[in-house]
Amino acid sequence: MSDFPWLRIGWRNLGRNRKRTGLTALGLAVGFVASVFVVGWSEGLMVEMVESATSLVNGQIEIHDAEFRPDRSLYDTIGGREGTDVQALLRVIDGDASVVAAAPRVYAGGLVSSGEATSAGLFMGIDPARELELTRFLDQLVDGRLPVAGQNELLVGEEMARQLSTGVGDELVVVTSGADGSMANDLYTLVGIFRSGLTDLDATFAVMPIGDLQTLLVLPPNRVHEIAVATADPMVAEATAARLADLLPAVDPAIEVVPWTVLNPAMVDYVALADAMYFIIVGIVFGIAIFGVANSMLMATFERRREFAVMLALGATPRSVWAAVLSEGLAVGVVSLALGAVVAFPLMVWFHNAPPDMSRFLGSDVTIFGALLSPSLRVEYNVPFWFACATALIVTALLAALYPAIRAGRTPPADTLSGL
Amino acid sequence: MARCSGMTYRVVGLLVVGCLVMPRLVAAQTDPLEIMARVDRLLRGESSRGVAAMEVVTEHWDRQMTMELWSLGTDYSLVRLRAPQREAGTATLMAEDDIWNYLPKVDRTIKIPSSMMGGAWMGSHFTNDDLVKESQIIEDYDIEIAFEGDRENVAVWEFLLTPKPEAAIVWGHVEYQVRQDDYMPVWTKFYDEDGELSRTMTYSEFVEFDGRLVPAVMDMHPADKPGERTSIRYEELEFDIDIDQSFFSLRNLQDRR
Amino acid sequence: MAKTLMTLRSQPMQVGVILMLALRNLRRQLRRSILTASAMIIGGWLLLFTFSLGDGTHETWIDSGVRMSGGHVTVERPEFRRSRKIEDRLSADVRSTIERALEAPEIAAQVVAQSARLTINALASSPAGARPAQIIAVDPLAEAPFSMFDDQVLEGRYLEPDDRLAAYVGIGLVESLDLRLGSRFVVQAQDTAQDISGQLLRVVGIFQSGMPEADQTVIHIPIQTAGDWLGSDRDVTNVGVVLADSATVASVATHLERVLAEPIAHGDASVLEWRESNPALYAAVAIDNFGNYLVYGILFTIIAVGIVNTVLMSVLHRHREFGVLQALGLTPGQTGAIVLVEGLTLTAISGVIGVSLGLLTTWYFFGDGIDFSALIGEDMTFSGVVIDPIIVPMFRVSRLSQILVFILVIGAAASIYPARRAATIDTAEAMKFER
Repeated sequence: MSDFPWLRIGWRNLGRNRKRTGLTALGLAVGFVASVFVVGWSEGLMVEMVESATSLVNGQIEIHDAEFRPDRSLYDTIGGREGTDVQALLRVIDGDASVVAAAPRVYAGGLVSSGEATSAGLFMGIDPARELELTRFLDQLVDGRLPVAGQNELLVGEEMARQLSTGVGDELVVVTSGADGSMANDLYTLVGIFRSGLTDLDATFAVMPIGDLQTLLVLPPNRVHEIAVATADPMVAEATAARLADLLPAVDPAIEVVPWTVLNPAMVDYVALADAMYFIIVGIVFGIAIFGVANSMLMATFERRREFAVMLALGATPRSVWAAVLSEGLAVGVVSLALGAVVAFPLMVWFHNAPPDMSRFLGSDVTIFGALLSPSLRVEYNVPFWFACATALIVTALLAALYPAIRAGRTPPADTLSGL
Repeated sequence: MARCSGMTYRVVGLLVVGCLVMPRLVAAQTDPLEIMARVDRLLRGESSRGVAAMEVVTEHWDRQMTMELWSLGTDYSLVRLRAPQREAGTATLMAEDDIWNYLPKVDRTIKIPSSMMGGAWMGSHFTNDDLVKESQIIEDYDIEIAFEGDRENVAVWEFLLTPKPEAAIVWGHVEYQVRQDDYMPVWTKFYDEDGELSRTMTYSEFVEFDGRLVPAVMDMHPADKPGERTSIRYEELEFDIDIDQSFFSLRNLQDRR
Repeated sequence: MAKTLMTLRSQPMQVGVILMLALRNLRRQLRRSILTASAMIIGGWLLLFTFSLGDGTHETWIDSGVRMSGGHVTVERPEFRRSRKIEDRLSADVRSTIERALEAPEIAAQVVAQSARLTINALASSPAGARPAQIIAVDPLAEAPFSMFDDQVLEGRYLEPDDRLAAYVGIGLVESLDLRLGSRFVVQAQDTAQDISGQLLRVVGIFQSGMPEADQTVIHIPIQTAGDWLGSDRDVTNVGVVLADSATVASVATHLERVLAEPIAHGDASVLEWRESNPALYAAVAIDNFGNYLVYGILFTIIAVGIVNTVLMSVLHRHREFGVLQALGLTPGQTGAIVLVEGLTLTAISGVIGVSLGLLTTWYFFGDGIDFSALIGEDMTFSGVVIDPIIVPMFRVSRLSQILVFILVIGAAASIYPARRAATIDTAEAMKFER
């Protein structure tokens, strides 16, 4: 006997008691929406954490001279003392499909002084145009504007500005050691103040155009310490890094192309941990829902015991009774899924594009593994997970119907029909 | 006979006094503390002024500088660069643990917290402590003679300096070689507590400045970086000059002379 | 039955009857009740256990966080936080006032550890070079129960009471300065006379906290050594306490503020709660709690839906019964009350069972905690604090009552609609039904 009559019977039975069906479907639908939403929110947090760690300042991939980490010596530029054709490297990198942006950087340690107050600082030479595409920390300056090359202009973080009691328009003295050993110093105008949200960054970094810093440090333009790369999705960083390592022309001494997963392995572990938790959540949610559905199905089958008795008396096998009940369960599942999907998708789209900001309730931003997390309810899409949830829902409905189905199959036809 | 006995008396008296004095003189000749105290005081005075050329050789660059230095006790010092041309006028003032830097290129003075002074003095292999010694060698070390005799036909002492139990010294021990005839140091070797040589300072070109015999050239060689060194050569040096605290002022710091 | 119904007018009997009817019906629909109850039992169990675990986790975070810094509550001079200079140390009077205040019985009962420290910035040098360092001068006996650094010994040992020139140094600093156990090194800082002064120290222990800033700059030395070195005798810059339960922070802080009212008014002292010194950690706890509330809100919505389903179904199946009861004198209100009581009883019993199971599980894991290191690993840092992978679930009466109330509210809310349906049954119409 084909299944089709059973499906129709299943559907029809749903209409028997709309309220009950509705409530049962509601339970499953809520479970579905909840799983999708909570996991979406959690993933939103993970993505934000990774993005924050990578697109705030660092980039998803960093290219350095192999000796550069961890000491970050002034002299360990890409290509060593001879430097390298930075533009050629950038061209190759820009050409890769997964790369969204790439920018060169120069670093040096030194002092920033407003005269009476002096702070130890880390100078970062950037290409402002490329940097804006790469990182976010300069997107919204607290005050002022980005520096223009050749004008001795400087940006500092909010915390350093506070420590130096200085503001936009003020003059700052910069002191550092040149690559030739000379005491490099010059006057700069503070043209802007940035706030990354990470206090350490805001207290230590002083940003200027890369050419200006190279001049100060007596470094030729072809010597840079780092090329930072942004990929469209942090998750493809590893593959992209491997590809770039092959594509880039050989540089002597050797360079390294490092994805963020190597630089921040703890974060990778945490993301994996969070992924594992999703299945636990789904398990719990649907584990709870199963009771409600089972209850419902039991009531339904109890009501229809006469019908089953008749079927069995007429020669239907218990198996076909099971099929009847299971198909009702399946039907409940499908309805719930439809209901859940109808609610979930608009909700997800809303929270993905215009998430409410929780900072009113929470106040400060959180840092985890050194990445900044701002408290918002942004959700991420995860289509494979949605399918998993849908499957879990249907499976729950079927499982819940299993026991009632078996019981129904065991309905004693004669006794039932005689009114017991 | 009375005149004779008077003379004799005097001679005997002299002899007696001489006998009393002689042992002490002889002892002073080989008293390690006394000798090291002399070595330590070589470049010290109540005050001093000097002109020196410093060459620093590192793995990445070579640098030559000429500077003028003034000091008053251990609390005040002023160093002003005369060369290279583009850095001439750069000056560092240390007054009672405040440190100020004047930068002529930008015509600004900045105050540097002492915590940022790190180890190296003006980018060289000397530390602040090497040049601005707060306390004296004999206060911080127990000193004994490890060798007395000839090295390459020069009569020298070699002293072993072991830090006193609570002295604020980073070295495990220090060795000095000092010439016996003029008390000039020949070299100093600094060892860590494992007995490994950390750096060597050599002294040469002994010249008289302002009536004092001093080594005009001092070289510092770090043991872990064989190609690197810092050499200081004094071209002028005067001691106990007429300056006081008021000389060590911010205004003087900025004086481009 | 009829006789009891006749006497319905009298209040106590009414209640008795309602209860009886409600309970009897639950028993009649045993399987249904049990299924619904099971969902609630599991829900209640999970809810209590998860929140206990969550509270335990947060308590661990907070505990770790405050032990790495100044404690749940810290007292220091207002300027000290920014300047970190020895001039901004606490005067001896203020310090003794603080210590007396902490001896008050109601406070002392809450305090797990208390440490007075002198914290200053210094330069550490060795034959290999010089590095900036943060010197924390402590009384080893007080500091050991307070701090976590003493447990993170990599080599050697923590400071001991008789130590004089001993230093407990982070692995990062040890490597930068090329030191070993027993190595000598010198620290220099500005003393109370404003002179730069040096002090010899020897490494007696090396620690690794997992936090780079601590490993690269922190040095613990005995407070007497600092006093001799800097001329500050036994003065300290801050006094901190670690409390048994972070819920008591506000009351301890208030008490201290009262006792220290005068020095605070003169600007000689300020009382800080961990919330103010570590706002990021506070936000982290809040976010995590929020996540939990979200998940459980959803779970219980599902359970509530199940309750509504069950109770409603039982109402709809007892049309005739309710009709009869009303014919016999039960008011609509009382009819509704029966259903409400049924729903509430179901919820209450299953809720209590679930919560009890949760309590049992919490208690079971209470002793040793649950080791999550397989999942979390040893190196997790959260808001600058290294997280201990062993989590001890924490029982809080406030949480328990919160959960019980929540469950009852859910039960009541779920039963309202069915109760109303029951109350609006038309007696005559009801007779048409079989049941």
